[in-house]
Amino acid sequence: MSLEQFKNRNVGTQNYTMLDLGERPKTGWDRFKQVARRSVKLELFTGLKVTFREMIKALFMGEMHTIKYPFEKLPISPRYRAIHEMKRLLESGHYRCIGCGLCEKICIADCIRMDTRYDENQRKEVSEYTINFGRCIFCGYCAEVCPELAIVHGGRYENASEQRASFALFEDMLTPLDQLNQQQEFPGFGAVSPDADKKIKKTPLAY
Amino acid sequence: MDGYIIATVIKAVLVLSIIAALAGFGTYLERKVLAFMQRRLGPMHVGPYGLLQLAADGIKLFTKEDFIPSGANRLIFMIAPMITAATAFIALAAVPLLPEFKLFGVTVKPIISDLDIGILFVLGMMAAGLYGPLLAGMAQNNKWGLLGAARTAAVFLSYEVVTGLSILAPIMIVGSLSLIDFNNYQAGGMGEWLIWKQPLAFVLFLIAGFAETNRTPFDLIENESEIIAGYATEYSGMRWGMFFIGEYANMITIGFLASLVFLGGFNDWGFLPGGLAIILKVSFFFFFMLWVRASWPHIRPDQLMWLCWKVLMPLAVINVTITGFVMMV
Amino acid sequence: MSKKEITITIDGVECRTWEGEYLLNAARANGIFIPAICYLTRCSPTLACRICLVEADGKRVYSCNAKAKEGMNVVTQSEEILEERRAIMEVYDVNHPLQCGVCDQHGECELQNYTLELGVDSQHFAVPDTMREVKEWSTVLHYDAGLCIVCERCVTVCKDMIGDSALKTGPRGGPAVDKAYKETAPKDAYAMWNKLQKSIIVPSNGTEHTNCSDCGECTAVCPVGALTERDFVYKANPWELKEIPATCAHCSSGCHLYYETRFTSIDNHDEMIFRVKNEWNFQSLCGAGRFGYDYENRDVTKDEKAFAKAVEALKKAKTVRFSSMITNEEALMLQRLKEERGVRLVNPEVRPFQRFLAAYAKAAGRSLYGSDYKAIMQESDFVVSVGAALRNDNPNARYAFNNVQKMNKGAGLYFHPVGDTLVPTFGKSVECIAHKPGQEETALYLVLDLFADRENLPEYIKTYLDGFHETRKRTIKERVMKEVVEKVLDKESGEENEVKKKVPEMVEKEVEYDHNLLVEALGGDPVAFADSFEKMMKKKSSFALIVGEDLYGHPRWENLAKLVALAEKHCGMKLAMIPPKSNALGVALICDLDDSAEGYTVGYNQPGDFRLSALGEGDLDMPAMNQQEGTMSTMNKRVVPTNAALEYGGYELNDLMNALGLGKRLSVDWTAELPVDKGFQAVEFDDLSDGFLNDGTEVRGYALTAFKSRPSAAKVAAASEEAVLEGEIAYRCNPQRQFNDFTDKAHQIFEAFALYASPEKAEALGERVEVVFEKGSLLLDVVADERMQGEIVEIPDFKADRDVYGLFGESRYANVTIKKV
Repeated sequence: MSLEQFKNRNVGTQNYTMLDLGERPKTGWDRFKQVARRSVKLELFTGLKVTFREMIKALFMGEMHTIKYPFEKLPISPRYRAIHEMKRLLESGHYRCIGCGLCEKICIADCIRMDTRYDENQRKEVSEYTINFGRCIFCGYCAEVCPELAIVHGGRYENASEQRASFALFEDMLTPLDQLNQQQEFPGFGAVSPDADKKIKKTPLAY
Repeated sequence: MDGYIIATVIKAVLVLSIIAALAGFGTYLERKVLAFMQRRLGPMHVGPYGLLQLAADGIKLFTKEDFIPSGANRLIFMIAPMITAATAFIALAAVPLLPEFKLFGVTVKPIISDLDIGILFVLGMMAAGLYGPLLAGMAQNNKWGLLGAARTAAVFLSYEVVTGLSILAPIMIVGSLSLIDFNNYQAGGMGEWLIWKQPLAFVLFLIAGFAETNRTPFDLIENESEIIAGYATEYSGMRWGMFFIGEYANMITIGFLASLVFLGGFNDWGFLPGGLAIILKVSFFFFFMLWVRASWPHIRPDQLMWLCWKVLMPLAVINVTITGFVMMV
Repeated sequence: MSKKEITITIDGVECRTWEGEYLLNAARANGIFIPAICYLTRCSPTLACRICLVEADGKRVYSCNAKAKEGMNVVTQSEEILEERRAIMEVYDVNHPLQCGVCDQHGECELQNYTLELGVDSQHFAVPDTMREVKEWSTVLHYDAGLCIVCERCVTVCKDMIGDSALKTGPRGGPAVDKAYKETAPKDAYAMWNKLQKSIIVPSNGTEHTNCSDCGECTAVCPVGALTERDFVYKANPWELKEIPATCAHCSSGCHLYYETRFTSIDNHDEMIFRVKNEWNFQSLCGAGRFGYDYENRDVTKDEKAFAKAVEALKKAKTVRFSSMITNEEALMLQRLKEERGVRLVNPEVRPFQRFLAAYAKAAGRSLYGSDYKAIMQESDFVVSVGAALRNDNPNARYAFNNVQKMNKGAGLYFHPVGDTLVPTFGKSVECIAHKPGQEETALYLVLDLFADRENLPEYIKTYLDGFHETRKRTIKERVMKEVVEKVLDKESGEENEVKKKVPEMVEKEVEYDHNLLVEALGGDPVAFADSFEKMMKKKSSFALIVGEDLYGHPRWENLAKLVALAEKHCGMKLAMIPPKSNALGVALICDLDDSAEGYTVGYNQPGDFRLSALGEGDLDMPAMNQQEGTMSTMNKRVVPTNAALEYGGYELNDLMNALGLGKRLSVDWTAELPVDKGFQAVEFDDLSDGFLNDGTEVRGYALTAFKSRPSAAKVAAASEEAVLEGEIAYRCNPQRQFNDFTDKAHQIFEAFALYASPEKAEALGERVEVVFEKGSLLLDVVADERMQGEIVEIPDFKADRDVYGLFGESRYANVTIKKV
C-alpha cells in the first residue's frame, strides 16, 4: 500500500468492502414487518444454539480452551523476547561472549553494562555482566547486534522477584554447565538468517 | 394454632436459608455456565471444581470494608440493599415450592402462606423490590448511581405492566389468584399445561421476567459499559452482596412462577414425581437465564422502552382481549 | 627559512599555502580530505601506506611527500586513484582479525574508517597468515602484532618527535606475497603489500623490550589496536569514554590532552579516568602526561571541622608555602591573600626563575622571552641548549630539540655538565659539551662568540671575546699528490718507457689556526670542535637558544640573564626558557614571592605547620589538578584552560578565600581578574577557546602579552670561575616521568625516589647510599640510568616532604659526600 492511501483521511472513499446487510426499514410498517419476520424466524435462538454448541464442545468434546497457567504453560514462539540468556560454546563450555560491548552500545534503554579485563590467556575476559531489567524494554537489539550469538532472548517471561537483580547477573543468565547438552541454538531474533550463505561474498583463502 | 405458627416459622427459616444458599450457589453456576459456553473452565481452584469459591466469596464479602460515601444519605444507603433482599424473600412466602408430603406422619405443605391472592402478592412484592435499587441509586451521591436509579424506575415500572397483563390471561382461565389453584388446574398431565393455551402470555411473562430480575439482555440498571455499576456503584462488601442475593432469589422466584403458572407446577410429570419435576423446571429457567446472558447482547434503554410499550404491551392487551372473547364464546 | 605564500588548486578549490609545504598538509589546512594512514603532521613522510596518492599537474604523486609549487593543480580523486586506494585498503584487510568488538581501538580505528570510507566490500587478495605473538614491550606498552598493519607511525614518531628511536621494523617471517598478484593487483598496492608482508615492529635495541622514556606516544599514533597502554587493554571500549579536554599539569609544557572517563565498574558508578588521549598530530605527550593521570584526591567530603581549622590557620599564618602545580586563579588568590593579609608567599621552585625572568626583562627590554617551542620546532635549524637537562627537565623542549634535527636538517649544541647518551643520537650534527657545573657563563660567552654578529656587539664584549682567540700552530697530515716517474717495459717492443704517475702521499704540514680558549675552558677540544662546528653551520639560517633551570638558581644568575638577553639580541636567536615546574610561569608573573619562610606556615601541597593537600594526607583536602577548572600558563607563553575531569566533593581554595571574606562565587571567576599589567587578558574563563585548527594552529586560550621597555644599559660581567664546583657533585633532577608528588601517586609511573647515576658510577656506589649535604642528608637507593654519563649523580625533588630544595639551596648543583650504607 502506498503512503498516499494512508494519507487519505476522507472516510468512505477508501477501499472498503461493504457487507450486504439488506435495506434498513424506512417506514413504521417496514419496521413492524421486520420485527414480525425476525420473531417468526426465531433468529434469537440461533444465538442460543451457538452458545449451547460451544458448551457441549467444551464439556464433552475436549475443546476447552483454558490453560491453567501456573500449572500449565503454552509453548512460546522462538522469537519471543523475554529474559536474556547467555549462551556457551558447546565444545568447550566457555561462554560465548567476547566482551565486545556492542550490546552495551546499541542498548537504547542503556541498561547493559559489563566489566572486562585482559586475562592470563591474552583474551578479553568478561568479569561481570549485568542487565538492569527495571529499565530493559526487551527490544532485542542486543541479541540482534551480538556477533557471537552469545546473548539471546530466552523464554523466561516470569520475572517477578523480590529484587530486580535476581536474574540480572552474568551467572544467572549463563547456561548452567550441567545443562549444556540441552542448550539449544537460538532461531529467533538476531539469529543468522537461513539464506545467509547467499548474501556473503566469498573471500579468497590462501590455505 | 401454635403448631401452625411454629411450622410457619420453621418453613420461613428453611426457605430463607435454602434459597439464600441457592442464590449464592447461583453465582457459582452462573460463572461456570458462562465459562463453559465460552469454552473456559470457570472457577477451579478453591475446593473441588472450584465449589468452595462460593465460601471464599462469602468470606470476602463479609470481611470487606463497609464503605459509605461522605455525601450519601447514610440511613437510606444502608437500608436499600435490605429492601431488595427482603422483598425477594418475602415474595417467596406465597409460592408453593414442592408438592405436599408427609414427614413423621404430619402432612407438610411446602408453602409458607397459601394466600388466596398468592400471585398478586408475589408480583406485588417483586414490584416493591424496585425501591431497593431506586433508593440505593439516589442515596449514594454518585452520578452513575443516580442514572442507575432513573433507569431502575423506568424499567421496573414499565415491565410491571407487561408482567401483569401477560399473567392476566392465565388468571382469567384459572379463575383464581392462588398459585395452588394454578397448580391444581394443570394436574391432568402435560396436555393440561397452560403454556399450550397461553403461549403468547408465557413468552411475554418470560421476557418481562428478565427485565424484572435485571438480567441480560435487559440489565440496563447496572450496565458496566455505560454507567459503571449503576445503583451499586458505591456499594461494597455484604451490602453489595445483598443486592445480588436479592437478584438471584428473584430469578428463582420467576422460575417458580413460570413453572407453576405455565408448565404444570409440581404435578407429577410422566414418571417423574411432582417434587423433582418442579425442581427440574425451575432449574431449566435458571439455566435459561444464564444461557441467554451468554448468547445475547444488551439492548439500548430506548429499545427496551420501545419493546415494552410498543410491542409487548399491545401484544399482552390483545392476548387478554382474545382470551376474554374465547372464554365468552 | 622564509616562507612564500602561494596559491594552488586542489579539486578545483583555490587554496593558499606556503611554498614547499606538503600537498597533504596544504589540503588539510584548507579542509580538503585526503586519506592518509602513515603520515604524521610534524614528522617526516614514511611513504608506507601510499594511500594519499593524488594527481598533481597530471602526475601521480604521494601528497604527503610532494611539495606545493605556485599554480599547481591537484586532483585528489579519480577513478584510478580510488581503485588504487581501494586495493591498498583491501591489502591492509588481508588477514586482519575480524573480532573488531574485542579490540581496544574499535570505534576510533582508522583501518575500520578507511575500509568503510573507501568502500571495500570484497577481498581479492590472500596470503597465508603468520603467527605473530603479543608482546609486552615495557611496563606500559602492549604490542599485539596480529593487529599491526605496519604503517610505521610508531617508528616515525619515536624517531622524529620523541627522539628515543626505540622502534624499527623487523622481519615477520612467513610466506611472501604470491608473485601472480603482480599481474592482477594495482602497482602501489602490490609494492606496499610486499613490504608489509615482510615486516612487523620490533624494539630497535634487538631485545624483547624497548629502552625508551615510556612516553606512550606510539600508542597514541597507532591507527589500529596494535599498540595500546598495558593498563587499558580490554578494560573499556573507546566509545564508552567521555572526552574531557584539559591541560596536563605536570610540567610547564602545559600540553593539551583529553582525560577519558567512564564509570569505574558495575559496582562503582563513580567516574574514573581510564586513559589519556592527545591530538597527536599537533601535540606530543610525555610519559607523565599520558600515564600520570590518576592522581585525583578521591572520596573527599566537606569536612567542616578541618575547614574551620584551615581558616584559623590561614588567619594566623605568616607564610604560605605552595608548589607551582596550581592554576593561575589559585596563584592570584594567594597573591590577594598577600595583599590583604600580608602573608609571605614562598615557592622555592619558582623564586629563582622569577628573579631570572625579571633580570632578563630588564636587560632585554621585553617582559617575556622572545620565542616559544612551537616556533623553534617549525622554523629553527640550529638549536643551542644551555643549562637544561633536556631529557629530564621538559619533554617538549627535548622534542623540539630532536624535531629540529630530524625535520629541519638541523644541528644542535648541548651544553650540560651531566653527560647524556641520548641527546647525541638525536642527529648527526649534535655536539654535546659536558662542562663543569658553574661554567654556564662561559658557555653563553661561547654562544656569543660563535653566533653573534661581531660588528654590532658592544666594544667591550668584542674585546673580551677576542681575548679567547689565539692563533696557534699545529701540524696536520695532508694528502698531497706527487708525480712519480716509473719505468715500464714494453713487451712488444722491448723498450723501456718512462711513464708519469700521480701517487698520493701524506705530508706533515704546520698550519696556523684559531684556537678557541672558551671551548678549551669548557672541556672541549678546540680543533675538533672547530671542524665539526664548520660542518654544523652549513646551510643554517635560523638559530634558537633554549635555556634551562640551571641558570635560574646559578649564583651569578643576574649576569647570566644579561648574557641571555645579549645572545638573543646579537645572535638573532629565538630564545625560549624552560619554566622549572608546572605553572611556574604563571606563578612568576602573578605572585610576588618572598625568599624565605617565616613564622607559622601554611603549606599548600608543601610541608608546613598546617597542610592543605590534594594528595589526601594533609590537614585539609584540596582538589587535585584533574578535579579543577582554571587556567595555566605554559612555557609557550599561552594561558590555556583546563577542565575538571573528575568530581570533587570537598573544599577548594576559593572556599577558604570566601571564609576570609576575599573570595568569589567560583574559582573561575578569578580568571578575568588575572593581572593585565603582567601580560594576562581580562577574559572570562567560559570565553576561552580550546583545541587546534586543522592546520595545527593552537587556539587554546590566549597568548601572554610581552611588554617592551627600554633595555637597561648595565654591562655584562666577565665569566667568573667562582661558581665552578669540583669534587663529588649532586644534581637536582627528576627521572624522566616524575615531576611531582602527583606523578608519583599515579599507578603507572614507577620511577623511584632514588639516586640516579651512570651505570659505572652506580656500580661504584653500591645499592644504597647516604648523601650528605651541608644542611642535612638523604638516604637513597642507587638506580643506574643507562643514559647518563660521568660522575655527577642526580637526586630527584618530586617528593615535597623530602625538602630537597632545602638541601640544595637555590643552585641545582651541590657538593655532597656520598657514603655507602
